[in-house]
Amino acid sequence: MPGPAIEVQGLSKRYKEIQALDNVSFSVPEGEIFGYLGPNGAGKTTTIRILTGITQPTGGTARIFGHDIIRETIESRRHMGIVHETSNVYDDLTAWQNIIFTAELYHVEKAGRDEWAKELLETFDLYGRKDDLAHGFSKGMKRRLTLAMGLINHPRLLFLDEPTSGLDVQSNLIIRRVIRELAGEGVTVFLTTHNIEEANLTCDRVAIIDHGKIAAIDSPERLKKTIQSVQSVEVGFDRQVPDAQDTLRTIPAVNEVRKEGDKIRFFTEDPSAVIPAIMAYAEREHLRVLSITTYGPSLEDVFIRLTGLDTGNDRRALWK
Amino acid sequence: MLRQVPLDLSAAWAIARKDMIIYYLRPNIIVAGILFPLFMFLAFAIGTLGSGASRASDLSQTAQLGALIPGLLAITVLFSASTIEPVSIPIERRMKTFDRLISAPISLQALVFGESMSGTLYSVGIALIPLAIGVLFFGNLILAPVALLIALVLSSLCFSSLGTLVASYPTENVGEVMSILNLIRFPLIFLSGVFIPLSSLPAWGQAVALISPLTYTSDLIKFGYSGASHISPLLDILVLAAFTIAFQALGAYLFRKFND
Repeated sequence: MPGPAIEVQGLSKRYKEIQALDNVSFSVPEGEIFGYLGPNGAGKTTTIRILTGITQPTGGTARIFGHDIIRETIESRRHMGIVHETSNVYDDLTAWQNIIFTAELYHVEKAGRDEWAKELLETFDLYGRKDDLAHGFSKGMKRRLTLAMGLINHPRLLFLDEPTSGLDVQSNLIIRRVIRELAGEGVTVFLTTHNIEEANLTCDRVAIIDHGKIAAIDSPERLKKTIQSVQSVEVGFDRQVPDAQDTLRTIPAVNEVRKEGDKIRFFTEDPSAVIPAIMAYAEREHLRVLSITTYGPSLEDVFIRLTGLDTGNDRRALWK
Repeated sequence: MLRQVPLDLSAAWAIARKDMIIYYLRPNIIVAGILFPLFMFLAFAIGTLGSGASRASDLSQTAQLGALIPGLLAITVLFSASTIEPVSIPIERRMKTFDRLISAPISLQALVFGESMSGTLYSVGIALIPLAIGVLFFGNLILAPVALLIALVLSSLCFSSLGTLVASYPTENVGEVMSILNLIRFPLIFLSGVFIPLSSLPAWGQAVALISPLTYTSDLIKFGYSGASHISPLLDILVLAAFTIAFQALGAYLFRKFND
């Protein structure tokens, strides 16, 4: 049975007055895709900087494949690929020079290196531009090149910091496909993202971090089950009725009513009790129901609940 | 530990080559590394030729200018060697490419050495210009060429290490690093016997000169040309090596400290 790829025990980091990480512990088994979610300033970047040996913790330990990241920094880094949040490629080098430079930094053997670099550039649809300076690349191309550079040393553990943030559809699809393929090959992926749906679709488990503390760690489905109260019914009527929201808010078991585009969404713990009341209202007002859909809680709902994120809407009723 | 040494050296060379491709021809590198020493030389040349002492001297104007070449060589090495990293490292911090270097499986010492190597090679290459001008146009003789070569290579490494050390200051602004560096470089020119002989300096000036690495560079270069020096050439080499090691070690320490 292989040991964990990442093992973190009581990790803390304090910057003068700010406690960036507070006694964080988790373990990531080899081969898992592990999502690390949290609002800005929650401690995601600090965690990655410690796990990659850039920053030293003020307390606790972190091990990468059994190697202590503080005492065996270089040995720990040998097994990892890092894709930083910014597409940090060298604009004044060509795509080929960028990837070969990274190979040299990671001591990749010359035998087979060029073939692997070629394969990676082909995978990310960049081989045709291999001799072009990265300066002229689009945001998506730079992101893909960053990912190719992160894989040049055949890492057993890949850190991906916001890999698809703000990218075009083509780049998104390529990157998501590669992440799936890496998982199939047994590569462990540590993924931070603001895209909660991406984490929901991609990750075996997610950790939600807030104010430097782990708020929850589990599979996306199990996390969603913990907040069954955040179910909803979305209804589309054939026309708008003034003051509809005020009337509909009085339906028993409805916690909140929100207008979303041309539809109305009812948040409830019991959709089966709410649907007949909505139909009765429609009949009373001579409205035709064009669509009606029920939704379970999303990972975003879990995230909002655990982090207490203020969305600008009064959702306090949901947390009762 | 020993297994890491060749890996570190190979990565350091990769970093140096990357810097050569990206930074050698940047305008601010050319201005600070080539043009500034040239203008400094011209200022001293005009001062020398225009002074009363010069007019009274038996030496020809060509010989007087040739006598300034060792000093020009010393400041060329100082400025060209210490310019690359104070430009490249803040830029790489801003572009976040520096994160790549500090998260690679190499020691910080390898990173500092690699960065310094690019400055060293740049400086040695640039120093060949005044060296060639001196020989071809002013008839300079080089009586101890090995000492001159050691002076150029060792001093270049020493001053590029100084540049890397100053570039550890955690900023993304090139101007901030260059300001700190110039606070160090300019006083060195006047306190190191570059154009003014050490023996002409007052006692306190001679004492201060001993803590300047440029003093030993200047002295060793003069030995390379004339075979005579104010300080022992061996001592020049040892002190320059000691400064180099100290700048490298302090640079690695500060990069670790400021990254936190």
